[in-house]
Amino acid sequence: MQPKLKKSLIYWAVLSPLVVVILFPFAVMFVTAVRPRDELFVYPPRWGFSEFRWDNFAEMWVKTNFGEALFNSLYVSVLSTALALVLSIPAAYALSRYRFPGKGAYRTFLLMTQMMSPIVLVLGLFRLMVALGMVNNLNSLVLTYAAFNMAFTIWMLQSYFSTIPRDLEEAAWIDGASHFTSLVRIFLPLAVPAMAVTAIFSFINGWNEFVLALTMIRSSDDFTLPVQIYSQVAGRYQVEWHHVMAGTVLATVPVAIVFSWLQKYLIRGMALGAVK
Amino acid sequence: MASVKIRNVEKSYGTLKVIHGVDIDVEDHEFVVLVGPSGCGKSTLLRMIAGLETISGGEIVIGDKVVNDVPPRDRDIAMVFQNYALYPHMSIFDNMGFSLKLRKRPKSEIEEKVLEAAEILNLKPYLERAPGQLSGGQRQRVAMGRALVRDAQVFLFDEPLSNLDAKLRVVMRTEIKALHQRLKTTSVYVTHDQIEAMTMADRIVVMNAGRVEQIGAPLELYDSPANLFVAGFLGSPSMNFIKGRYRREGDGAVVICEDGTKLPVSAVSSAWNDQSVVLGVRPEHLRLAGEGDGVPATVDVVEPTGANIEVFADLAGERVCAVFSERHPFRPGETVALGWDLDKVHLFDADSGKRI
Repeated sequence: MQPKLKKSLIYWAVLSPLVVVILFPFAVMFVTAVRPRDELFVYPPRWGFSEFRWDNFAEMWVKTNFGEALFNSLYVSVLSTALALVLSIPAAYALSRYRFPGKGAYRTFLLMTQMMSPIVLVLGLFRLMVALGMVNNLNSLVLTYAAFNMAFTIWMLQSYFSTIPRDLEEAAWIDGASHFTSLVRIFLPLAVPAMAVTAIFSFINGWNEFVLALTMIRSSDDFTLPVQIYSQVAGRYQVEWHHVMAGTVLATVPVAIVFSWLQKYLIRGMALGAVK
Repeated sequence: MASVKIRNVEKSYGTLKVIHGVDIDVEDHEFVVLVGPSGCGKSTLLRMIAGLETISGGEIVIGDKVVNDVPPRDRDIAMVFQNYALYPHMSIFDNMGFSLKLRKRPKSEIEEKVLEAAEILNLKPYLERAPGQLSGGQRQRVAMGRALVRDAQVFLFDEPLSNLDAKLRVVMRTEIKALHQRLKTTSVYVTHDQIEAMTMADRIVVMNAGRVEQIGAPLELYDSPANLFVAGFLGSPSMNFIKGRYRREGDGAVVICEDGTKLPVSAVSSAWNDQSVVLGVRPEHLRLAGEGDGVPATVDVVEPTGANIEVFADLAGERVCAVFSERHPFRPGETVALGWDLDKVHLFDADSGKRI
């Protein structure tokens, strides 16, 4: 056997338990979501089921108010991403292009905010939102998600921005462009890939967030998806597992696919930062 | 009127002074080359003329306007960058026409000017391509085309040929010079390559460590360098330097080397006996001396370039290079007698480096 093939097989063999552990919950989730209700609790538990009950998804949509929760999640994720980007782009531009006093301290500050988990700060944030009168308002999530994402977005954007050659903008200035024109017509078009990747990561972070959403949002009409799905399980006498799993499939699978596709860009962005 | 006057210009980064009181006058229509080793401040000076760096002291005048606080877009200059700086997301046509588009010129005018520049630079077949699809030489021409379309009063070149291979560099050098002869736009050209400077300039400014060493026409600097730095910088292979002490002898003078060898030089009134000097003589000015004449030298390495023979030899304890256009049969290890015309020899003070 060729050494390369052998090596490949050994790696697969060593890593396959890990792969199984990671994929197992997804498999269970999917299989539970598509089986008929009366086959949920067969004992001993088995993978097989009689038919693909795609109706589970339709039922779940109506019963769990999935549509409204989906909209809430979209609202919060899109707006928080937009807000984070609008504030991060100038910050990242300044960090990559200008020298200013306190630059090093600012970067350290950004790094420090990344080290804080929302869970640690949730009580303080709740009190802040109460003071602002924004509890049970989706906009409270927009603000907090944007804030938590910004350290990451600024960092990512700044490493990408630093790869755009400075002399392109200088050439534009000499051609007659103002700073603003050169930013909009020369710099930003070249930064679009970086902004797209950063936006998608920020979106995914907002989409998946649970603790803050659970804390800030009180009425079920305003629940985001993770909280809505959770509410189908928590404190209930009877849990419709097939609905829960169907909801979870819809909530997680697209995001997981997008994330795994994007991770090479994430690594590239982080590596760029490391080289700088 | 498109002269550029640099008056006592200084540049500091914080406490670090990188340009010390530079004075240069570029006349209208002149092609001036700023040349010097890496880090001498020539690019910084060019960027100050362009407005891409602030000026810490002194003033720069373009035409009849002091431009210290004028932004680049209002200085009516065009610049060709070392890395071309072409807009990657635009076609060649759009790259070249960008400046006119910014000034809201009519489409017909933009098209006319771009096509004209493309014609001059042989870029017509590439107008719809993106910069990434062009070779280095083509990109450099587009960068020049972009400057041409501007019709600016001053052209600035920041080492535009450094990224090209040797052969292409020679071709582009001639093209730039031909372009200047045709357009006669005032140009300031920065390079570290002394051959580019010699072949292209109307006048050369030799810079070192943030200071101007000498300004003058290429042959003027070549034949009468003002100090050791300029003497050693221009010319390839570079000038030979031999250290010694000056001594009057009869009507003439000699330079006595450490090993006692006497090298004949012409008498110089400003030199005194026993002055520590450096004798400079260019490789092409060394010739084979006749019988009983000249200074003995031991041949070390012989390098035929095809057009010439470069001989590296040991003369009076120092390594010298001699260039011959005739094909003498030199052999390593043999002793030859080298001589020179007295008026082709340069004397520099060993301490200050200045010409005597």
